[in-house]
This record gives sequence, structure tokens and C-alpha cells, in this order.
Amino acid sequence: MKTSKAAQTPANPAEASATLVFHELSGMVSEMLGEYELGEDFDITADTTFFGDLELESIDLVVLAGHLETPYGTQVNIAEFIAALERDAIIGLTLGRLVDYVVDCLLVTRSLTPATLHTGSTQP
Amino acid sequence: MTQILINGIDMHALRIPAKGLANPDRQHPTVVLVHGFGADSLASFYFTLAAPLSTSGIEVITYDMRGHGRSSRPDTGYRLSDFVADLTGLLDALDVPGPVHLVGNSYGGTVAFSYAVAHPERVASLFLIEAEPASEPWSRKMSILHDKFREFERPDEMDRVAAQLGPYMARLAKVTSQKLQVTTMVRDTFSGPWLSREQVQSVRCPTIEVLGSESDVVDQAELASLLPHCRIVVVPGQRHLLLMNAPHTVLDLVLSWIDEHHSARRSQSEVSPG
Repeated sequence: MKTSKAAQTPANPAEASATLVFHELSGMVSEMLGEYELGEDFDITADTTFFGDLELESIDLVVLAGHLETPYGTQVNIAEFIAALERDAIIGLTLGRLVDYVVDCLLVTRSLTPATLHTGSTQP
Repeated sequence: MTQILINGIDMHALRIPAKGLANPDRQHPTVVLVHGFGADSLASFYFTLAAPLSTSGIEVITYDMRGHGRSSRPDTGYRLSDFVADLTGLLDALDVPGPVHLVGNSYGGTVAFSYAVAHPERVASLFLIEAEPASEPWSRKMSILHDKFREFERPDEMDRVAAQLGPYMARLAKVTSQKLQVTTMVRDTFSGPWLSREQVQSVRCPTIEVLGSESDVVDQAELASLLPHCRIVVVPGQRHLLLMNAPHTVLDLVLSWIDEHHSARRSQSEVSPG
């Protein structure tokens, strides 16, 4: 019996999306760090914390939230997401946690596949 | 997200529309959120009150004051009158219809109060968080604070903050200290002129003060004597950074305050049209 799984598409759309969203967000964060003339070779991972590792100010996250509206629209509402968190969770916020939130929003509001998330740019 | 030129300042402002209105024809309330001094920015409100207020059918406006957040930071020009002029300029530029509800955190409340003294017809209500009018007694307290802020300019003071309050607050204090060093912000902000008792008492709009029980920034008895009609709510176990540490409590208070005073204004205007 042959499986019909497409060769380069992960079985779980959420996993595939998380990878794409991670790349998108880490790109935005790198750009922001570039503005501050911080080390360009800083290794950003899912565990990287905004306020600890990256030493960003909370206003930087507001600006990032604004940038996110361009690719994802207003259904990704970072203000709402953060408002529901406790203070320590905000201070320890990681890139991975933000990626998970964005993916959740997209999964809820669209029938999500990598193609609908990033039309044309990430096709294998 | 907008950058607007106000009084020569490239001002970072956000206007978030009222959402989820049951009846969009009825005019929604507009709330203007004014953040505090030094380390603060519109982020404090963006991550606490802004989204829930907006989804409760309230239009939200908030901005970075000059020298703060992503607004420009001139070397000089940080008197209270400058901050009030910026708020006036912003609301003019945004062409906000009707009086607004002002929510001010700490020094933001001081700015909001002076705005209400200057433009009583443009303010529907005042919601002050750990904030006082810029009266003469306030200025005496602020001169002590002025010296405290100067201490933040010393590197060893940063180490003390780090040891006491953790790396996040230390980083915040460091960034703030850098800001204070390159501008006349501390000197200007706490240099008057102050509001007379008559000016303070000329503000007749509904006013509420929310205080932390463990904070000694605002003297409750003094405030009650200065503003006899002001409602005072004390949140147990909280200090000055009430908005940051008890955002849900503050949100509930703001929502019920707006609900109470927006409906009151509406019934008034329905009884006496024009």
C-alpha cells in the first residue's frame, strides 16, 4: 500500500505554518535589531525572549504588532493576546509563544495551508 | 499606527476603532489613554486596556508623549504646558468628535488633569491612576522625585535596581536614565507653573482616582480635600505600578466608569437636545 503524502509538505498544516510564521517573525525581529545596530549574527530561536535576550522595550513589541498586520491582517491581535497574559508571562514572552499565537489565529480564521499563508513564495 | 506631526514632534499615536457595537448608530465613547513619565510609553496601555476597551465598543486613542516611546525626543521643551499642548494638538489633528474620557497613568493623569483645566468642554470624565493635579503640594513632592530621577543617572544605582527588582526593571531604568541624561526632561517637567486651588477645583467633570493601598505617591486625604467630588478607589496590596501589576482590576474599573458616565451623558443629551 502506498501513502499519498506529498513529498515536501508536512502532514500537519499547523506545523508547516509554524515554520513559515517563525521565519516571518524572526525576520521582522532581525530587522528591528538592525535598526538598533545590535549584532546581526544574533541567533534567534523559538526560545528567544523579547525583553530578556533581545533587550527590546515594550514599545518595540507594539511596533512589531503593527508590522504583523501587513501579512496577517487584523485577526492577529497582539494587543489582545498580551492583555490576557499575566505580567511574568509578558516579561518572559518568547518568539515561539508569539508564533504559536499567530498560527492559532490563522488556523481559526482560515482553512490554513502553507499556500494560503504565503501565496507563491514558499512552494516546494 | 500613525506618526503625526504635532507641535514639531513626530508623534507616535494609535487610534483603535470601537468594535462589537450592538447599535452602531449610537455614538460610541472615545477614551484617550495618557501614559506616565520617564520609562513609560503607550505600550503600558496597548498591552492592558486598549484591546479589551476597543472590543467593548469604545474607541481608543493613545500616544507616546514627547521624549517617550517612538515619538521624537527634543533636547528641551518638557514643561507640563508642552505635554498639554501636545494632547490638544493630537485631538485636534485626529478631529475627535465630542468630549473624550481621559485615562491618565501617574504623570499622564497630571497631564490629563491640566488638559481638563484648559479645555473643560472637551473632557467627559477623568480617570486618574496613581496621579495628581499639578498643584503646589504636588510640586513639593515632585522635587523629591526629581532628585530620585537624578540618581538613576548613576551606574551604581542601576546595579541596585537590578538586584532589587530584577533584570527587566533594571534594563528599563537604564534606558530611562539614558533618555533623561540627553534631555532637560527631569528639570522641565517638575518646574511648574502649578495649578492654583481654584484652577484645580474648576474641573467639574466626573473624576475618579484609583490608588494602590501600598503606594505613598498620592496622599489620599489631601486629594479628598482638594477634589471633594472625586471618587477614590483603593486597590488592596498594590503599589504605584498598579496598571502594570493589576491590569484586569484597572480594566474592570475603567469599563464600569465609562459605562456609568457615557450613559449619563447620553441621557442628558436626549433630555435636552442641542
